[in-house]
Amino acid sequence: MRPSVVITGIGLITPLGSGRETVWRRLLAGASGIADVTAFDTAAYPVHRGGEVKDFDPAPYFERLAPASVGRASQLAVAAARLAVADAGGVLDELAPERAGVVMGTTSGEPREIERHNDRLLAGDGAAGDGALASRYPCHVIAGAVAAELDLAGPNAMIPAACAAGNYAIGHAVDQLRAGRADVMLAGGADAFSRITYAGFARLGAIAPECCQPFDRDRKGMIPGEGAAVLVLERAARARARGARIWAEVQGYGLSCDAHHMTAAHPRGDGAVRAMRQALADAGIEPRAVSYVSAHGTGTAINDRLETTALKRVFGPRARRLPASSIKSMIGHTMGAASAIEAAVCALAIADRRVPPTINFRRPDPDCDLDCVPNEARELEVAVAMSNAYAFGGYNASVIFRRSDG
Amino acid sequence: MDAAEVRDKVKEVIANVTGIEAGEIADEANFVDDLGLDSLSLLEIAVDVDYAFKLGLPEERLQALRTVQDTVDLVLAHRVEAAA
Amino acid sequence: MSQQDRVVITGCGVVTPLADEPQALFDALCAGRSALRPLTLFAAAGGGRRRAAELTDFDPRRDLGKVNVRPLDRVGRLATVAARRALAASGWTDERRAEHDVALVLGTMFGSVRTVTGFDHRALTAGPSYVKPLDFANTVINAAAGQTAIWHGLRGVSSTLAGGPTAGLQAIGYAADLVRSGRAGAVLAGGVEELCAESFLAFDRHGLLGDAANGSRSGPVPFDARRAGFALGEGAALLMVESARLAAARDAPVLAVVRGHGSAFDPRRGDDEGSAARALARAIAAALADAGLEAGDVDAVSASANGSVSGDRREALGLLAAFGDGARELPITAVKSMLGETLGAAGALQTLALVEALARGVLPGIAGLGSLDDDLPLAGARAASRRLDMARGLVTTTGFDGNVHALIVERPAP
Repeated sequence: MRPSVVITGIGLITPLGSGRETVWRRLLAGASGIADVTAFDTAAYPVHRGGEVKDFDPAPYFERLAPASVGRASQLAVAAARLAVADAGGVLDELAPERAGVVMGTTSGEPREIERHNDRLLAGDGAAGDGALASRYPCHVIAGAVAAELDLAGPNAMIPAACAAGNYAIGHAVDQLRAGRADVMLAGGADAFSRITYAGFARLGAIAPECCQPFDRDRKGMIPGEGAAVLVLERAARARARGARIWAEVQGYGLSCDAHHMTAAHPRGDGAVRAMRQALADAGIEPRAVSYVSAHGTGTAINDRLETTALKRVFGPRARRLPASSIKSMIGHTMGAASAIEAAVCALAIADRRVPPTINFRRPDPDCDLDCVPNEARELEVAVAMSNAYAFGGYNASVIFRRSDG
Repeated sequence: MDAAEVRDKVKEVIANVTGIEAGEIADEANFVDDLGLDSLSLLEIAVDVDYAFKLGLPEERLQALRTVQDTVDLVLAHRVEAAA
Repeated sequence: MSQQDRVVITGCGVVTPLADEPQALFDALCAGRSALRPLTLFAAAGGGRRRAAELTDFDPRRDLGKVNVRPLDRVGRLATVAARRALAASGWTDERRAEHDVALVLGTMFGSVRTVTGFDHRALTAGPSYVKPLDFANTVINAAAGQTAIWHGLRGVSSTLAGGPTAGLQAIGYAADLVRSGRAGAVLAGGVEELCAESFLAFDRHGLLGDAANGSRSGPVPFDARRAGFALGEGAALLMVESARLAAARDAPVLAVVRGHGSAFDPRRGDDEGSAARALARAIAAALADAGLEAGDVDAVSASANGSVSGDRREALGLLAAFGDGARELPITAVKSMLGETLGAAGALQTLALVEALARGVLPGIAGLGSLDDDLPLAGARAASRRLDMARGLVTTTGFDGNVHALIVERPAP
């Protein structure tokens, strides 16, 4: 039998604050991290709201590297990794550095390096080339910064799988642990607030003017956000042997590709359905075993409808009663960090027996007739949770978590 | 710029997005049914036309474009509006 | 691992400046032909002296037909064409793909950095309302993989790996693991990178490029004592990585067996030679353990050395740390001597060259190799290609920022 892999540490840097306890408390309270964008001037844009990480100071999280030596996504990732390791109580103690590795996901890597490059070019200072585009932009530096800062010399991978990247990273890290390639893996996702991402989604008309209202009849779009989440993963046997607190087990995952369109989901949700079914098969469970779904729930008209369709194809009539909430209503769409943060939410929902709400929900949509846990958190015995993530490029990723025995 | 010049310019924009030679694009061609364009390509044409003619049109009017002729008419109508 | 669970390679597709198919590419490598030519894609300091392994006549419509390629940027086109060639070479026809989902794992370092830069530039100069929607779809780093999957209807697992010059090899290892764990039966795996001003000028700014140095020679020479930096290249290479069972069931010829692979990281990211060497040695040891082999089972190495002063040294010291004195006589090739540093595509090109080498019993030389560093264990390096009976080969990749990966391929039993 393949070894079980469990989550023993959670590190979160989000628009609702930093740290597992703060973020979880505010998510359960239905708080909103959405505000007017400060990273750049939005005067020329038709929309102005975003989910930024406010007042972020990387300094306290950096011991080995200089915070300014890396870009913002790397800073967010390092901070989340530090918090996760601290949360996992001594997980790296007496562990050889080569037995611990890192897998991170991202959508855009360090796009602010390109923004700075263009700003310099237009100011007439940059024609000779910008070294940062080689040393700070390529996205593998995010996983590299985490490993260098924490002195982790084991397997290291960067998976830029866009908005499903966090789930991809978790799946890959689980496989590394099962194959015995490492004893501890840090897995997560990170993205920094970017005018490139913002301009693109604004041009597509996908950004909501005020707030994100997943599954609401009057939903007007997504809200771009930023953040990072890192989970500490280890084999259950090791975690138990060292007396670690276990948040949940990663029971299985599934990945698929729509091969349909770069930015639009498949009209019947085929790829999403394949990913969910593969995750269920990988976990060795039936759909009825799932008690909570962390929905992708971006808040755009089409995506929420297609996700509803896909959930109904997998869960049948029960889909309408199955609690499926979207925390993007509170923190926006944090891109490559989103599914990593949502994985943490699933683990915490299992451990805390409560699920966070979908806020800003006012009017039901017959096309999205799910139980999205409207507006208020709910007590719920979550034995098994499924987290869904969908991305540009037609990437789909579902991960299943369950309460760990013992 | 007269109607013929507007038409040529519109077709040039469409050619850049679709890869179809401007001379092979019919005046009445429908973007979806005849040219097989998806939502992103449609939006790209709208953005490029708006930019090429400096129209600054509201989103709804750009989104309503369905054919080459629609697009030419929109540009011509806007130029009349702008001149008035 | 039982025979049935084995992971095999059943076909390859390439886009390179030297050749458009693997056999012709291997012939060119054995002949010591350099892909370096005067840079034409953009201007760089040094003007006419600047060289790169540039694709000067790449036309995707030759492979894809008279279709609209506007939605794909240059990176997407390179990957899509390489995928078409790999699918054809491995016998994964449209009919077969309709019955069985094919997966895709693509490595890249910069992704579509040129598209992203241009997209942002337009937002700044024309205003954010005038950004290009089709370009926005390509700003995500997995764009080339997404476009390739759409083009060829690849509905299996799809993933993208970064990691600098290790990305293409990591992608092949990741694909092999997908096959072993049953998550995929057949995976197109490899990498892609385009040559563009953004990456070229950035490396140049760091003083890492040696394309204009030592003017009389063919170009930067890996492991050569006089090396002064690397030359950039571009291209794409995809290998069909498949379960032996599936390949046998469809009577596909097996080019090679993927025996195992291993990843490691140098937390000092190259600043400390010893730390870097130990990282590569760990990746090699992990690959050997994964394959159930010992160091003595490796008959040749396809190295990632590219002419970089410090990078080549780190790789040689890593081989010494892994193989001990055995490293000194280990036959070694470095195809970047001819193909340039193709970054995300490089690991796949190194693998492809080694697969062909095992099959033909010929190891390409390191073009232009003159004198070696006295303290590096490289007696097994030669300028010219040579006949050599090799059952197994090791591919090593050493990145710029601490990433290292190793993979072992084996000649199939006759």
